[in-house]
Amino acid sequence: MSVAAHRRIAITGLGAVSAFGLGAEPLWHGLREGRSGIARLRHADAERLRVRVAAQVPADYDAAAHFDERMLPMLDRTSQFALLAAREAIRQSGIEFARDGLNRRTAVVIGSGIGGETTLDEQYKRLYAENSSRVHPLTIVRSMMNAPASQISMAHELHGPAFVVASACASSNHAIAQAVLMLRAGLADAAVVGGTDSCLNYGTLRAWEAMRVLADDTCRPFSVNRRGLVLGEGAGVFVLEAMDLAQARGAQILAEFGGSGMSADAGDIVAPDPNGAAAAIAGALADAGLAPGDVDYINAHGTATQANDITETRAIRQIFGSAAERLAVSSTKSMHGHAMGASGALELVAVVQALREGVVPPTANLDVVDPACDLDYVPNVARVMPVRAALSNSFAFGGLNAVLALKRAP
Amino acid sequence: MTNDSPTNDIPAQITEIIAKQAKVDPAMIRPESTLKDLGVASLDAIEVIFDIEEHFDITFPDQGTNFDTDTVQSLVDAVNKALASKDGAA
Repeated sequence: MSVAAHRRIAITGLGAVSAFGLGAEPLWHGLREGRSGIARLRHADAERLRVRVAAQVPADYDAAAHFDERMLPMLDRTSQFALLAAREAIRQSGIEFARDGLNRRTAVVIGSGIGGETTLDEQYKRLYAENSSRVHPLTIVRSMMNAPASQISMAHELHGPAFVVASACASSNHAIAQAVLMLRAGLADAAVVGGTDSCLNYGTLRAWEAMRVLADDTCRPFSVNRRGLVLGEGAGVFVLEAMDLAQARGAQILAEFGGSGMSADAGDIVAPDPNGAAAAIAGALADAGLAPGDVDYINAHGTATQANDITETRAIRQIFGSAAERLAVSSTKSMHGHAMGASGALELVAVVQALREGVVPPTANLDVVDPACDLDYVPNVARVMPVRAALSNSFAFGGLNAVLALKRAP
Repeated sequence: MTNDSPTNDIPAQITEIIAKQAKVDPAMIRPESTLKDLGVASLDAIEVIFDIEEHFDITFPDQGTNFDTDTVQSLVDAVNKALASKDGAA
């Protein structure tokens, strides 16, 4: 299919929950200022855990302040965060599904790496540690992977296709790509999309410890002294609309969704393959009708593991060639942490705002660039520069890659 | 599982664990071999570390060790160190 045949897609709303608190604006301001949301882990079992730091939603977050008490027993933190981010994105977009005749024409596609794992951890503790024979009766509906998409569809009466997409750390990007394909295919006219995860429970933290990929100090992507990733939590949600319909209702277009590229390494379950990443980057450029020279910024996957940062650098060089010399590349995981299935969505907030404001957020904690990482990583301080188009990379454990391409609003 | 091997020979026990994971003859495993030399890739290396931790009931520190490139001897040293600090704490 030629690029010209694509229905153009607008992004008209943003919402986020992150270590910077509630809202896309606090997140963006934190990133733009190079502030880190990473802090000492807050957890009832912190003394026993080897995990030292995390990028957690602030301690003053009070679910009861945002949700009806009858609703709360049904909502794992993943659903709470997704609902809050969706509320914000929908409000910003100015869309009114009933007025605009969109209730049946709006899809909900949310990415999540691990879903309601925290609910399961809490409830299984009753069985295995407290010798109870009962778990909470809403354990299933609270923990099921699709709960965040279901809750958003219910809260906003959206009857279009709705589901959750799981691809570990690339879940957000895969979810957004699915929604765009449905919009282009005419299955829907609008979509509420993004990603959510909150897996900082005892069992999952222990599982991450056992993998030995967590940093004990902070997240230093592309730095020679990087010590691994830092877990985070949160959600990012966007409103996507067919460009013509968004323009017809006079919506403010925040950015244009250009295209996506997806690939599987089909190799090692954890070791990333530069060819797989490169294929996804090339796919996103082609789908968006962009040449390497059209792109000014890449929000990197940039986990700060030894393997990722070198592999990702190679993949970018492989596709961009000489155009890589004038690219700005940054990893905002250095500030919002690795929020698993929500990461791609938090990073897309940064990309949309970079396109709108002409400011590229930095890679924080970049002390000494690893000689094996030879791109311009925008160290520690944001850069004012025109951003015409940008990519957002996500590469998951399991070798699943998804890259999104965005353009400045027309 | 604790230190229940017929021998208290720590290098022999570690060799046995690695041989099982790497599916190689224990005689092939030398103190100067690295896990990488023995064909134990990244995720398998983490499993070897896990098996050693379970076997000796110890926990290796998260940082300061590169299990792919460190030698069998350095694993033996790390186990001795972890056992000593466990005895000291007990």
